[in-house]
Amino acid sequence: MFQNRNEGLALALPAAVFTALLFLLPVGILLSEPFQVDGQWSIQGYIDFAFKPLNQVVFLRTLKLGFLVAFTSAIIGYACAFCIINLDGKHRGRVFGMVMLPLMISPVARTYAWIVILGRTGIVNDTIIGLGLSDTPIRLLFTETAVFLGLLQLFLPLMIISLVSSMENLPKDAVSAARVLGANWFQVFMRIILPLTKDGLVLGGTLVFTGSLTAYITPAVLGGSKVLMLETLLYQRVNVANDFVSAGIIATILILMSFGANILLKRVAGTRS
Amino acid sequence: MTSTWISRMIIFITLTFLIGPFFIIVAAGLSAGDFLAFPPKGLSLKWYIKVFEVESFRESFALSMFLAVFGTITALVLGVPAAYALSRYNIPYGETIKTVVAAPIIVPGIIVGLALLRYLVVPLNLTITLALFLAHTALVLPYAVRVVSSSLNNLRSDMEEAAVLLGCSRIGAFIRVVLPNIQSGVLAAFILGFVTSFNQVPVSLFLSGPGVRTLPIDMLSYMEITYDPSVAALSALLALMSVIIIFVAEKFLGFSRYV
Amino acid sequence: MSNSFVSLQNVSLAYGKTVAVSNLDLNVRKGELIALLGPSGCGKTTTMRAIAGLMSLHNGSISIDGVDMSRTPANKRGIGLVFQSYALFPHLNAFENVAFGLRIKKFSRSEITTRVGKGLTMVGLSHLAERKPQEMSGGQQQRLSLARSLVMEPKVLLLDEPLSNLDARLRLEMRTELQRVQRDTGITMIFVTHDQSEALALADRIVLMKNGAIEQLGTPDDLYNRPATAFAADFFGFENIFKVSHSKIIGPNGDIPTGFAADEGHLAWRPGAISIGNGPHKGIVRGVAFAGEKREYVIDSMLGQIKAFVPADQTAYAIGASISFDLPKAGALSIPETQ
Repeated sequence: MFQNRNEGLALALPAAVFTALLFLLPVGILLSEPFQVDGQWSIQGYIDFAFKPLNQVVFLRTLKLGFLVAFTSAIIGYACAFCIINLDGKHRGRVFGMVMLPLMISPVARTYAWIVILGRTGIVNDTIIGLGLSDTPIRLLFTETAVFLGLLQLFLPLMIISLVSSMENLPKDAVSAARVLGANWFQVFMRIILPLTKDGLVLGGTLVFTGSLTAYITPAVLGGSKVLMLETLLYQRVNVANDFVSAGIIATILILMSFGANILLKRVAGTRS
Repeated sequence: MTSTWISRMIIFITLTFLIGPFFIIVAAGLSAGDFLAFPPKGLSLKWYIKVFEVESFRESFALSMFLAVFGTITALVLGVPAAYALSRYNIPYGETIKTVVAAPIIVPGIIVGLALLRYLVVPLNLTITLALFLAHTALVLPYAVRVVSSSLNNLRSDMEEAAVLLGCSRIGAFIRVVLPNIQSGVLAAFILGFVTSFNQVPVSLFLSGPGVRTLPIDMLSYMEITYDPSVAALSALLALMSVIIIFVAEKFLGFSRYV
Repeated sequence: MSNSFVSLQNVSLAYGKTVAVSNLDLNVRKGELIALLGPSGCGKTTTMRAIAGLMSLHNGSISIDGVDMSRTPANKRGIGLVFQSYALFPHLNAFENVAFGLRIKKFSRSEITTRVGKGLTMVGLSHLAERKPQEMSGGQQQRLSLARSLVMEPKVLLLDEPLSNLDARLRLEMRTELQRVQRDTGITMIFVTHDQSEALALADRIVLMKNGAIEQLGTPDDLYNRPATAFAADFFGFENIFKVSHSKIIGPNGDIPTGFAADEGHLAWRPGAISIGNGPHKGIVRGVAFAGEKREYVIDSMLGQIKAFVPADQTAYAIGASISFDLPKAGALSIPETQ
């Protein structure tokens, strides 16, 4: 019944064409723009970009925060996932729901809360001054730490969900068996849990890493122009200097990193024995 | 085995980190004062009320709603047949089409917005609303296809064959047999698309213009000017709206099955 | 009790608010093969997990070889546990699975090779040392799980439903295997099962459990021939159990004299002890099943439902036929009422 392949193609085509025209085409052109200098194909644009110190700082900072957030969320994620797995059904569902909740709330709202917490008149500063640790409010906003916290809060649920999902596939009793055979908790983690949840870790890690790289609102609101990341830099270059070449270059870098992470993911997922 | 006490603490702390800020915003919006502070100095609903009075908020809310609803519907109209084709047929270039349709998720929003603006909107002189509409549809489409595909994959195809053998036409079989069974999947896709579109920022950032802005963008620009609690109140209301939608979806659809 | 190798004293176990085991006292002798037997929910698996250290004690104490282990964590008790699900590690091959505990204990490489080699040979799996568990049959997986526990030379070996997942033929093989291992190594073994025939075949002593407490403790002979309660009798195949008072059997539709003096309490008959064909009692045949050497009847009577097994060469009765039967004193088991 489903042999008529062309029939199928016809059904799928509208969606594909729509996406291609609306999305692939414009983005493709954007990415090709930096290669055109004075009507010629050249990589001069890239070279100029790479040598500007600001660009280097932003690039490295973006990578650094990406890895930091991924790493931290992995640690917290494993701890949390392990606890969740040990809960019974009813509670597990509820906790799971609460973990997923932030994902559905607008990033604007989520990021905004940090302003309340980290601002000059925010909770943290009030506490610090109140405890007498400092006379004047400390600048917490517009720092890398603020961006780090914002990104962590944004993407931690993804890591938790990914790890819980992969931990659910651990063979029943494997952890107990390892314990009875003499392993302490560290050994149980390193020798049993980690090898068997590798896929979940990579999935979660990729999602968190690429998410952090390509986040806009959080770095914009919490980092401002003091802590620029690749996306906020892009916005600034376009808005302030009409610099579409830089925009195209940054876009290419981001897409390549995103793409690369996804390919890595498929590779690891595919090598399941 | 593990100490349940430690277990509960870890989860509690993590959840506080994840959800706590939400409660902070709600409280900050209840402040009676004029400045953003927590704990709020005095309680008052005035900021929550003010939110409804600001005209630009009302307009941008309406726009966001319009985009979310109609953008998602359009995405479903395009996406359901595509999902059906991908799951039931062995189409030529199937893998390519799958990748193409899924692409928008991989590319950072801001790049999409910029590219659309520069190479589509400006050259073709499209209105901002139309541009936003097309962009949101394109962004929601991959989610729609993915969720509906997941739903279709769980539905065995011999049902349709049975229907055809009993006399239905192909389209008839689709309408009578497939659609009713993927209803909740489609609904789940709609809700997911709605929420995604509504909360979308990066794409809308470039495409929005004076007077025509989606709600999140409006909030962002408001935030740059004023630091009063109305943004907190608005954020809280929006968050509440998302929460209610998802809660209802989970209760009636078992939403998490499809995501 | 110097004779006691594994000692549980006044142990209570609970899941949250639900009590699983209450005030349990049990002494397992060294080198003994003891079975924890009972229906699901009786607390046998919970007790086993508590001995292993996978479950904390609500009350009471557990000692092994004279040492109090009540607070010792599971990885320091020196106990082996063969899980019902086998719990083999899918990312490790057979050799590495068996070597796991030895590596944790930091045995030398040569020591590990020797021990694992011996372990695999003992269960007949040396030729599969490179295989992953998923590539083995159920029976092989179980033997691997056994080897993994045995190479640790545990003081006590716990087994959770060791024969339940196996088909009849494998069951017999595994049973022989377990007995052989136990004889060769002299390890104290505690196994959990819901199947009375397994317990009878393997165990030196049987602990029959019900609702978190010990119903009866004794040798297989004790439990099979002299069950002390109605529950135990029912569990061990006395399918016809009646309440008795003043030498009358109390039936649902009236009382019938037993025909002999009987203690207050219960009387029980195995299906094979009922004689069919003549007797003071009457009934209607509701079901007949041919089982090779015997015929199994289900009979409705004034005493309720009766199950009787009759040698197949005797006259067969059809469903709906009237039948008379006797509950002879010879086959009767008396279960006196306990205070």
